[in-house]
Amino acid sequence: MECSNPNHRDWQPSALGRKLARLRPYVQTGFLAVWLAPLGRWLHGIPGCVFHCYSCPLSAFACPIGVMANYAALVPVVAEVPYLLIGCLLLVGAASGSLVCGWACPFGFLQDLLGKIFPRKISLPGWVGHTRCVVLVGLVIILPMVLGYRGIPFEKQVISICRLCPAGALEAGVPYSVQSVLAGQAWLMSGLKTGILIAFFAAALFIHRPWCRLFCPLGGLLALFNRFSLFHLRFNPQECTECNLCRSRCSMGVKVDQTVNATGCIRCLECTTCGAIEPCFARPQKTGATEK
Amino acid sequence: MKLVPQPPVNPATRALERHDFWPGLAATVAGLAVIFCGARHLTNVDTTDGNTAWETQLIQAFSAGGVQYASEQAAPPPPKLDDVANAAEVLDRWAKQQANAQPPGWKIRVDVGVKTPCPT
Repeated sequence: MECSNPNHRDWQPSALGRKLARLRPYVQTGFLAVWLAPLGRWLHGIPGCVFHCYSCPLSAFACPIGVMANYAALVPVVAEVPYLLIGCLLLVGAASGSLVCGWACPFGFLQDLLGKIFPRKISLPGWVGHTRCVVLVGLVIILPMVLGYRGIPFEKQVISICRLCPAGALEAGVPYSVQSVLAGQAWLMSGLKTGILIAFFAAALFIHRPWCRLFCPLGGLLALFNRFSLFHLRFNPQECTECNLCRSRCSMGVKVDQTVNATGCIRCLECTTCGAIEPCFARPQKTGATEK
Repeated sequence: MKLVPQPPVNPATRALERHDFWPGLAATVAGLAVIFCGARHLTNVDTTDGNTAWETQLIQAFSAGGVQYASEQAAPPPPKLDDVANAAEVLDRWAKQQANAQPPGWKIRVDVGVKTPCPT
């Protein structure tokens, strides 16, 4: 569709935006060295802040969503406060919001790479992001707790986030199933999980970051911090030429022209290429200082 | 690049969306403090060797299938009946032992040595 606003024709991407867009794949690749167990499995006692299955043979940290679901299933037996989990999510969320989704998450990086295969994408409305909160509350907290009250341990629960998670299917199910097949045994992963993985790959080709946009409970949780996190995006009206490019650059369907620190944002910082939106850290304001 | 149509915007009336420093800092410091508490936190769950599990051990047990439920503890198997003459007596003694067996004094415990590759 051709935009009626002619301002974009003179548009040049900002120097900072260009630099960030070039830098992001390298940072995402670099973070793989953090998540893919250079230090061994002993860090499994610490929840990470990205979506990465703890059953993956290469995982360094515990999956925060798996840990949360396990804690929820334990509530009927022994009520434990997950201090480490709360602390990690609070620290990362309050400091950076959903910045880790766009710059550090290995599963998001995989979807970014898959998304490059077919450039044409199906656009989804912004409200679909609310399903992430439904997944978080329903599948990660309430369902394991209800089944736990019925005396079913988390590992035996037929329906759980871990049994439906495509990251678990890819990072744990596939390696162990391949290992099993090579040893002359059966494919270990269930038909349901295999189907979910295939559907995920198909969706990632035609929808930008489908898991992040529709289902990721961790992204949904971290995005709640976007409203007050120290790292945030700021709108600079002096730089805005109403060129409409900030919204067009956003692959997550966020209405960037209305608000930049939205809950649907993964802080990939693509919108900063327009120059009117700037990444910054909150600073204490001096008494009597006024906003420019 | 495909341009997304949008309603006209007025930059002058739009909020700058500048965040306050103190709420973010307070939440960040609170997160650090809670992590510190968690690292020093002994849970209400015992380990199989009789100690109390640290929170890190409990989380590690989640990922390695090391959480044991008392309700899932299988009863000891019946004795092998090699001596047919005494079979009835042996079985009767075993049944009495099972009937008098006390339920375990724990509901859940952590086996820190278990390393199941994929618990689910």
